[in-house]
Amino acid sequence: MRRLLLSIRDGRGFDIGLVSVPLIFLFAMAGLPLIYNIVMSFQEVDMFSLGTFARPFVGFKNYITLFSQPETWPILGNTAIFVVASIAGQFTIGFALALFFWTGFPGSSWLRGLFLVSWVMPGLVVGAIWNWILSGDFGVLNFLLKESGLVAANIFWRSDPNFSLWAVVIANIWLGISFNMILLSVGLSAIPQDLYEAAELDGANVVQRFYTITLPMMRSSIGALVALGLIFTLQQFDLFAAITAGGPNNSSNVAQYWAWDLSFRQYDFAQGATISVIMIVFVMFASVVYVRSTRHEVRG
Amino acid sequence: MSIALRDKLMLMVAVLLAAVYLFPLYWMYVTALKTGSAMFASPPSFWPSDPQWSIYGSVWESRNVGRYLWNSFVIACGAVSLIVILGTGCAYVLARYRNAWVDVGLFLILMLQVLPASLMITPIFVGFSQLGLLDYPRVAVILAIAAKSMPFFVVLVRAAFMSVPMELEEAALVDGNSRFGAFFHIVLPLARNGILVSAILIFMQAFGEFVYSKSMIQAIEYQPASVGLNSFMGPNTNEWNNIMAYAAMYVTPILAIFVLLQRRIVSGLTSGALK
Repeated sequence: MRRLLLSIRDGRGFDIGLVSVPLIFLFAMAGLPLIYNIVMSFQEVDMFSLGTFARPFVGFKNYITLFSQPETWPILGNTAIFVVASIAGQFTIGFALALFFWTGFPGSSWLRGLFLVSWVMPGLVVGAIWNWILSGDFGVLNFLLKESGLVAANIFWRSDPNFSLWAVVIANIWLGISFNMILLSVGLSAIPQDLYEAAELDGANVVQRFYTITLPMMRSSIGALVALGLIFTLQQFDLFAAITAGGPNNSSNVAQYWAWDLSFRQYDFAQGATISVIMIVFVMFASVVYVRSTRHEVRG
Repeated sequence: MSIALRDKLMLMVAVLLAAVYLFPLYWMYVTALKTGSAMFASPPSFWPSDPQWSIYGSVWESRNVGRYLWNSFVIACGAVSLIVILGTGCAYVLARYRNAWVDVGLFLILMLQVLPASLMITPIFVGFSQLGLLDYPRVAVILAIAAKSMPFFVVLVRAAFMSVPMELEEAALVDGNSRFGAFFHIVLPLARNGILVSAILIFMQAFGEFVYSKSMIQAIEYQPASVGLNSFMGPNTNEWNNIMAYAAMYVTPILAIFVLLQRRIVSGLTSGALK
């Protein structure tokens, strides 16, 4: 007993104690729910069996029901559109801004920092602001679009099924520009400057330098960023709750919102768990890509 | 074109870009100061001609903003304390050793970081209700947020510990310090800044948390400001000036912290996980 105490104060026991408590906590709060989620997706769960662990197992019935519903494929399609459009927009704008600020001028680093503001704002506040900007009759975006002659009539961003998903995409792009830009800036600043000087001496112009130096040198940053973008867009929930709530008629619903909606609006916890399991498999896949592309960084 | 002129031109373009980017924030503050009719005027005015400063007081009273913000604060403080107490030691050990076990641990932690809250809430809610934890809704939310954000904290703080030279700790051990003493008196003070910045980042995230609070806190007197904002925005609301005033009161403290600590936050973020 004395040796154990001594080891905790002054030995390997100290390290093991420090690391095991958080790991046990994480396992209980994240690992167990993950397992429980999978178990629930094979069970029949209703309001009456919610409080007990002994629920009837139904095999793949939940999965079969899920894919026989007419809205399943459109919602998964929406999820794909949302992810691809968001990442494309965030990445393009973020990369353009990072390149712009990378040229370096007085005040550039301070101004660049301002763009991180959206990263720290509560998602609900961002959603509320965009909800108001995108409002159909009185929204300022419609006013600007009409004044500049881009559209002839008001677009009802939130209530028109053709536009509702794009309303959330626009807000999500605004939200995601910040971390794309900052991570790409970090990647850009790691490129040795003498490469450019050598290329310039050899007569390479700006475009050639971008394609032969910047892009190849940024390959691992870009890979990590796209994987991270996929992870973050699949976590996006607050904007849906604040702007469209998945409506109208599921036209802007995505899997991660639908899973919550089924569990907490329609109290169908088994279906909610089933979608969660499917989506978590996707997210895990993305994170393996991310971890692999940053492995040398992680090892330090 | 001279260098000075080029710099000026670039600065002007940069300010313009920042103005476009920050326009939504500006629009929030402007709308909050408009009267009901000015808000729906067409064309909209981009400058409040008749600012209604009293709106903040009336929204604060009528929506009970103080109580909501207090709940957000309590939840964020609880989650941050739990994360800092548990996560710092974990990050320290993961930074001190390099072997296969550490790689496995880091990999598992990174995997946990990516699980979307809206997907994890279903099993967490059912599990917590079976354990009876939902009778203490704010504690339940604190536990859930801690589990969600701790991996991010561990990865950031690990980077801070890696920058503390191991020789310093070894010297302290040679001088007769215990591991315990060396950790608390040498390593921890040296990594203090990194821990502080990471804790502030986690605090700001927890302050805006929505999914867990929305799902687990039914009693209105325990709900945080994000849930309050959500219930303020009904499907067919037209009180946008009041909603924007609420949003401004919610977000301004966070923006103030951010502007004050901008440089440190940016460097803390870029040195850690997101490299």
